[in-house]
Formats: sequence, structure tokens, C-alpha cells
Amino acid sequence: MSKEKFTLHPISAVINFVKVLKEMIIPLVVVIAVNGFGGGSGSWTSYIIYIIYAVLLIAMLVSGIIEWKRFRYWFEEEELRIEYGLFVKKKRYIPFERIQSLNYTEGIFHRPFGLIKVKVETAGGGATKEADAELTAITKEAAEQIKKEMNLAKHKESTISDGDLQQEELAKEQRKPLFRMSRKDLFILASTSGGVGVFFSGLAVFVSQFSELIPYETIYNEIIMFIRFGALLIALLVFFALLVAWIVSVAITFINYYEFTIWVEDQEIIITRGLLEKKKITIPLSRIQAVRIVENPLRQLTGHATVIVDSAGGSLAEKDEKIRLIPLIKKDKINPILVQIFPNYEFEANFTRVPKRSRKFFYRLDFLWMIPVATCVSYFFFPFGLLSFLLFPLSFLWGAWQHKTAGYWMDEKQLVVQYRLFSRVSIWMEKKRIQAMTARTTYFQKKANVSSIMTTIKSGVSGSSTTIPHIEKADAESLMKWYEPTRIEPIDREKEQPL
Amino acid sequence: MRQEPINQLSESGLRVWRIYGLFQTLIVLLVGIGVGVINYFTGQFIWLYIVDVVVIVLIGYLLIYLFPKIRWTRWRYEVREQEIELQHGLFIVKRTLVPMVRVQHVDTEQGPILRKYDLSSITISTAATSHTIPALVTGEADELRGRISVLARVAEDDV
Repeated sequence: MSKEKFTLHPISAVINFVKVLKEMIIPLVVVIAVNGFGGGSGSWTSYIIYIIYAVLLIAMLVSGIIEWKRFRYWFEEEELRIEYGLFVKKKRYIPFERIQSLNYTEGIFHRPFGLIKVKVETAGGGATKEADAELTAITKEAAEQIKKEMNLAKHKESTISDGDLQQEELAKEQRKPLFRMSRKDLFILASTSGGVGVFFSGLAVFVSQFSELIPYETIYNEIIMFIRFGALLIALLVFFALLVAWIVSVAITFINYYEFTIWVEDQEIIITRGLLEKKKITIPLSRIQAVRIVENPLRQLTGHATVIVDSAGGSLAEKDEKIRLIPLIKKDKINPILVQIFPNYEFEANFTRVPKRSRKFFYRLDFLWMIPVATCVSYFFFPFGLLSFLLFPLSFLWGAWQHKTAGYWMDEKQLVVQYRLFSRVSIWMEKKRIQAMTARTTYFQKKANVSSIMTTIKSGVSGSSTTIPHIEKADAESLMKWYEPTRIEPIDREKEQPL
Repeated sequence: MRQEPINQLSESGLRVWRIYGLFQTLIVLLVGIGVGVINYFTGQFIWLYIVDVVVIVLIGYLLIYLFPKIRWTRWRYEVREQEIELQHGLFIVKRTLVPMVRVQHVDTEQGPILRKYDLSSITISTAATSHTIPALVTGEADELRGRISVLARVAEDDV
């Protein structure tokens, strides 16, 4: 083990600076705007404010430089050791064997210099993001060295990772990726994603930051003017705003998912994506707990679906327990790809559906609260309140729809469950990944001779439960039996039970 | 038809649940007295007094007598070599299987009321779930904890 200590590339100072600037941009803009407009023109106080800004910026830049200067990392005793800290010197030692994955990102600052950001992810032991480490900017060779050291420590022969990342990059060009999202799919994804809502909430936040600055009275007067011009203009304006929001969200999705590519290497799934900031995410196959195929109703119509994997551990801060493996794909193209990634799974499922008599369980409980609510609404808002009774057929149809979708299928090693809230979800779980299984039977279910089965898998740092609703009692029992490691005959039980 | 797990909770567990029920009923009683006093100073509706008393008595009956009884008779557990099986639930009967391989740690815990009756609860945790057996005699609980942790260590992990 060499004890040579490495530093980051000087560009990290700039990246640190920009990062701090980014975090402070909104409060800063607000402060500048308020003072800028509020401060008297020409008086000496306004200059002081500008000096303060300048000092602040310089302080941020200097702290970025110091952060870079102070940062050291080296390999010792099969550990990645890091020393850092602006005022307080901190050290962090991460044993290689506890490192789950190394994630690489190439931002716009990294690219001209052939640099890369390395994020070290450890097993989900820590409840805080403290468990992880981040090397802001190092050369690709240095990143490769970390990987090599890690593989050495893990007693794995470093076979493919002999070459540096650049060579690997070249090799990648030749190696065929398992999936590359086409421009057309990317466009469909961008134009149908929920990004619009996100954009609007962002806009709302942005506006609320400026609410004091907006001259409401002027706007009010202008609105009155608008109304005189007619509602058409307002409608046009709203439409225009929506259109702009949509275009922006399409652009954001397009930039984030540009050249979305996945391939498998060394028992790891590697995802790269991004136009401006090239992201590389690696997920060890051993960490994957379940595979989901999600089809929202709209995309179900066009035959598209999303593939999501549940991964154990990972950092809480990233919220990456559910990773989009394939953001959008034609349904019939899924299986050939998944079979290559997950040879242990059987993706041709032959679902057992839910019995017809349990359909009532899908909507009956909702009627229970809807009856008093609809009655009250009808009474107080007569006659239009009567419309609330339309909820009943709607709720019935929705329940029937869910009933039609629900089903399960199992073979020796795996359980597949299909259900719907709005989107149809099919989830593949290996038996050995299921942490616990519970059969639930209510009084009414017992009378109808049906039961629900709830399975829990690990997902992220906690668990995620999936319910197979209202299946035949006998089916539920065979599922429990399927999950049970040993089925001891009743006669033998006394022996097995020393208590 | 699947057999029920064979072990039941300690008899005094039922007594402890009745005590919990008593506390809950006392809170309801305080609210009920409040309603009665307000009724005395404002409306003095006879029917309201009657409803008040009936509701309190009914809740008391459910919380102190019926619910603990159902819960106690329903509660079953069984620790076998390869798995733990639990059955519980008041309105919904839940039967849970936890394979030994999945067990990560076992805790026992004792609150003031449980201690008075020499009882403990055991919590079995997997990577994603946790399951509590609420009222066992302390010695039995400690023994069970030891046994589960030995069995969990022996069980082959194929993950």
C-alpha cells in the first residue's frame, strides 16, 4: 500500500465556489434586489453594500481554494482515507470492502480537463449522508486507481479495469450497450413526464421569493385593463405560460436523459446519461432487490413502460433506492433486455388473477366513507351537491379496474405481483430477497374465503411492501407454504419445539 | 387448512392489556365527565346524560374486556429452526412468516407495567421489517431471544 497522499485537481476550488454560489444564489438575489431598489441612489451607503457583496464573493472563493488545498486522500491498510476541513481538520477512513459503488459525474467544468467527480457510496449503515465521500475533481487515471485499489482490497482480480477510464471509454464505444434510448423515446419521455408540475412548483417558490418586490397595485390595474380587453387575452396568456413551462420541462428532461445508456460489466449495472453534465451511476447487481415495470394509463395505451429497480442500502440523501433503469421503452422490447441483465429472473409471467367474488372488496370500503360525505354535500349544496353521487360509479369502475389488473405468479425462486393504483405495476421479487410475508384476513374476507398477502423487501435503507389483494384463500396458503423454509409435519412439531 | 402456531402469550399479558384498557377508559371517562358538566350548565338534556353514560360503559367494556380477550386468544407464535411464525390482529388476522436467515437482531424490552408482572416483549428485526411479540414471561423471553439469535446465526445465508 502506498502512503502517497493525493490532492484534487485545482479546478475543484472553482467547483466548490460555484457550488456555494449556487446554494446562495436565491437569498443573494433577493438581498441584492431589495437593497438595490431600496438603497438611495448615489448615497455612500449603497457603495458599502456593494463592497460587502464583493467581500462575500471573495470569501467564498477563498474558502473554495482552502477546501481544495486541505483535501487529501490516500490508500492505507485497505482503506480509502480522506483528510479535509475548512477550519476543523477532519479525517474519514472508509474500508474498501464497505464501499458499495463508485459513481462518476462529468460536469461542464470537468470536461475540458478530462476530469471526473467520484462519489463513494458505502452500505446503508449510516443514517446520514456523512457515510459517503466525494472527490470533487480528479483525473480519470486517478479514478481508475481508486477502483483498482478497491478491487485489490476486495481480493478480486482486476481483469477488465486494467486500462484507464479513457481507454475504457474507447472500449465502450465498441462494446454494445444493452439499451440506448432513442431520440424519439427521449422526446416522448420529455413531453409526457410530470416535469411540468415540478416546474410550476418551482416557479411558485421563485415567485414567492419575490412577492414583496412585485408591484401588486400596478399589476392589479393592468389586470383590470386586461379584463376590458377581454378574457381571450388572459386565456392566451395562460396558454402561452403553459406552453413555455412545457417546453422548459421538455428541455430539462432532454438534457438530463440525453444519451441514456445502460450496460452490464463486472456484475454491475452502469447507467450513463446527461448532455451538459454526464452522469455515470453504477449499481452492483447483488444490491438489487426487485425489478418493477410501471405503466401509467397513458403510456399503457401507447405500449410504453418504465423499468425501475429497488436497490438496498445507498445514501439517504440521494433518495436513490428506486432507480429508473429504463425511463421509457416499448413494452415488447423490455424482456430481451432484462433477461440479459438479470439471468436469474424469469420474465415471462403467467398471472393467476383474483377471483371474481373478491371484486367487491376493491370498492366497498370506499363506499363506506362516501355515503355520509355525499349525503352531507348533497344536503348542503342542493341541487349541485347531488353530483357528488357520481363518485359511486367512478369509484366502482376504478375498483373493478384494479380488480382486473391484480394478479400474481410464482415459480420456485421468484414471485411476481401485478397491481394497480393508477399505473399498472408488475414487480419481480426473488424469494431470497423477501424479508417477511404476512397473510391478512378480515372478517368479511374470511366469509368470502379470500385473503391478502403482504410481502416486504428491503429498499433503500428501509423496507417496501407489496400487497397481493384478495386472492383465493387456498392460493394464499400455498404462497405462505412456498415462502416457508421448512414445512414441518404436525406430528414432528413437538420435537422441534423445546419451549 | 394451515395450522395455528402453537405457543400463546403469558396469562398475565392479558391482565396487562386490561390495565392499558383501563387507562384508556379513564381518559374517555374524563372527556365524558367534561361533556356531562357542560350539559349540566347549559342544556341539561336528559338524553345526552344517557348517551354519555352508555358510550363510556360501552367503550370500557370493549377496551377492558372484549378487545384484550380477542387479541390474547388470537395471539400465537412459534419459533422453529428455519422460521418464526406469528399470528395476531383484532379485526384483521395477520399471519407472518419470518425466515431465520432474514433475522438481523433480536431485542427484549420491558416497560414499568410489564416489569411489575415480570413480563418482557421481544422484537425481531429483519433488514426491512420488525415484529414484536408483546408479553412473555421475562425468563422465557430471554431464553427465546438467545435461541433465535443462535438459530439466526446458524441459518444458511444465500443472499
